[in-house]
Amino acid sequence: MNEKLLGYAGRVLKIDLTRKTFEDFPWTDSDRRRTLGGKIMAADILHSHITPDMKAFDEDNWLVISTGPLTGCACPNTSRFNISTISPLTNIVTSSNCGGDFGLSLKKAGFDALIITGRSENPVHIEILEDDVSFNDASQLWGMKVSEAQEKLQKRHGKLVIGPAGENKVLYAAVFSGERAAGRGGVGAVFGDKNIKAVTAFGSKNAEVYDRENLKKINKKWVEQLRANPLTGRQLPKLGTAALISPMQAHHILATKNFSAGRFDDFEKISGEELAQNHLIKNAACTTCVIRCGRVVQVDGKAVKGPELETLGLLGANIMNDDIELILKWNYELDELGMDTISTAGSIAFAMELDEKGLWDSGLKFGKTDNLSDVFNDIAYRRGIGDILADGTKRMSDKFGGAEFAIHAKGMELAAYEPRGAVGQGLGYATANRGGCHLNAGYLVVAEGLGLDVDALTPHGKAALAIMFQNLMECISAAGSCLFTSYAVFPSFLIDKPNSFLTKAILACFPYFGPVVNLLNKHTGIAKINIPLLLHPYALTFATGMKVTMADLLKWGDYGYNIERVSNIILGQGKGADTLPKRLLDEKQIESNEKTKVPLDKMKNTYYRARGWKNGIPTIKKLNKLKIEIPEAIKALNL
Amino acid sequence: MAKVTVKLFGVMRLDSKISGAQIEIERISDIFNVLNENIKSEAPQEKLLSFNDAVVFVNGERCKKKSFKPSNGDEIWLMSPSSGG
Repeated sequence: MNEKLLGYAGRVLKIDLTRKTFEDFPWTDSDRRRTLGGKIMAADILHSHITPDMKAFDEDNWLVISTGPLTGCACPNTSRFNISTISPLTNIVTSSNCGGDFGLSLKKAGFDALIITGRSENPVHIEILEDDVSFNDASQLWGMKVSEAQEKLQKRHGKLVIGPAGENKVLYAAVFSGERAAGRGGVGAVFGDKNIKAVTAFGSKNAEVYDRENLKKINKKWVEQLRANPLTGRQLPKLGTAALISPMQAHHILATKNFSAGRFDDFEKISGEELAQNHLIKNAACTTCVIRCGRVVQVDGKAVKGPELETLGLLGANIMNDDIELILKWNYELDELGMDTISTAGSIAFAMELDEKGLWDSGLKFGKTDNLSDVFNDIAYRRGIGDILADGTKRMSDKFGGAEFAIHAKGMELAAYEPRGAVGQGLGYATANRGGCHLNAGYLVVAEGLGLDVDALTPHGKAALAIMFQNLMECISAAGSCLFTSYAVFPSFLIDKPNSFLTKAILACFPYFGPVVNLLNKHTGIAKINIPLLLHPYALTFATGMKVTMADLLKWGDYGYNIERVSNIILGQGKGADTLPKRLLDEKQIESNEKTKVPLDKMKNTYYRARGWKNGIPTIKKLNKLKIEIPEAIKALNL
Repeated sequence: MAKVTVKLFGVMRLDSKISGAQIEIERISDIFNVLNENIKSEAPQEKLLSFNDAVVFVNGERCKKKSFKPSNGDEIWLMSPSSGG
């Protein structure tokens, strides 16, 4: 195999905004072999820099924007890029993945990643043109909404911009690239704090790949596989992610009324079917995507991006709203203001319950929707009650009480899946490094009723599966791939034929695969093979020249999950951090069914043992195995 | 025979162009024969529905037996498996 790794641009750009200087950040093939790229690379870079007293809005907090080796290699669904930094929402590391045009453009400009440090005195537009970086005055752009700001920038350039919410440091402000958002964890607020209104990149460099002919063959096979799979080839293109509203209703996992229930009587009015049949104008796609799950809908006579499942669920069932027209409008408004729809909706639902229980008289009430557009604007500009809502659910619960129904994990609002109807997803939410995120959680709900029909209420095997899914998704993301490409790994018949004898038999055994999966998680070397359905290792091999197997994916994923965890511990995350609000742990979702609460402690102990952690903290033995430097914060615990 | 309300969801609804129907059946498996009669005239053969392809719920509870006998007034959901949020 090749000594010099290919597939990468080969350079990392470091920009100091305070001094308005730029330089190459040292990053070698040895670093690439250790981290692969994307979010794992970003976690590794942040880990080398953060100190115990560092905060999100410190001038010295780094923004790391990184791509994966498959980005720019003509592989399907690989235009993703990642933004990592210390989150102002959670005070730990956040990573936010996005499918817009910036990642590909950054790579074409000759860089695998971009590190931004310091703070500009005035609003700035950072322009990256191959070997040159300009710091343009962005005073004229400041104050503009997301689409207006992007229209003012060079059409051909890959773009990142923030809206008013980022400028006003709303703790869950997003960064936008085209219509796609790096939404979670408040990366937009860190942009705002550094006075960055926009970053653009342009270039014409193409990364050299190791074996172009074989890569081409794999890419062709990959496209065919994605198109043939029932999820990526039919459901996602036809209904988008919104398809999930109905099955979530059926499986009691549609978060309703601030996660007090898992079913919403009027679910059909906010469903994917309603969206597809009565509102969809056409599909949209990220660059290089063959799935095309994006929706284009009409708002006020204008064709705009339609809502994802999370937005439909959380601005629908979770606040008791059945008006899909309003959700389409709100989704557009929130995008224009530059805010994460998940955290916005979660914060509003919590405020509604606070109001209902007489803990905070905000005037926000479940089912009362006439004033929400104003509330969104108040959040983005930090006016009136908006200034309180802009700090998110956890801070509101610190101020007004109601911690038992403040639906967040580590300070981040949960996605739309009610975990009492899918307990493995609950374990994922609790243990996810960045907080209440469905994807960083491992997205076990894909096996617990959505896609596959594994027993959703049993804790058996869920710890092992959560670790495997978390590690695999970590690595697929780091490669530059869309996480939806991982669905094509499931044999079609398991999805397509839910009532066949073979499917039922395999899925009934699934929870009992735990010990075998654990063995693979612990001894990744066993997986030094490749399977025909998982094409990422083949593509990585032909792109980079590294001989990649499933074992490498699991190893990289484990490394990424641990190094991010170590950074969080340096930043002060304690041993009780992996938890969920009391409502989800102690209150049954369905009164007559004892199993409908998340048996977190039971799953978590198994999870920790399998991860090589104690109380959520990696042991010295585990860190030595992964060759991660042991920080003082862990040395002091003597685990 | 029981008079039931059937609702289709997901790809199944878009492909068959049937949102729902009120039909009389004896067993769950009968639903597919009845619906396919309506579909045949509009959709190609491969779009026909079968019990093996559907995730079935009766009054909100998962039903895995095609021999299950519903009662009058039952609401039956037929879903195609979906994921990706």
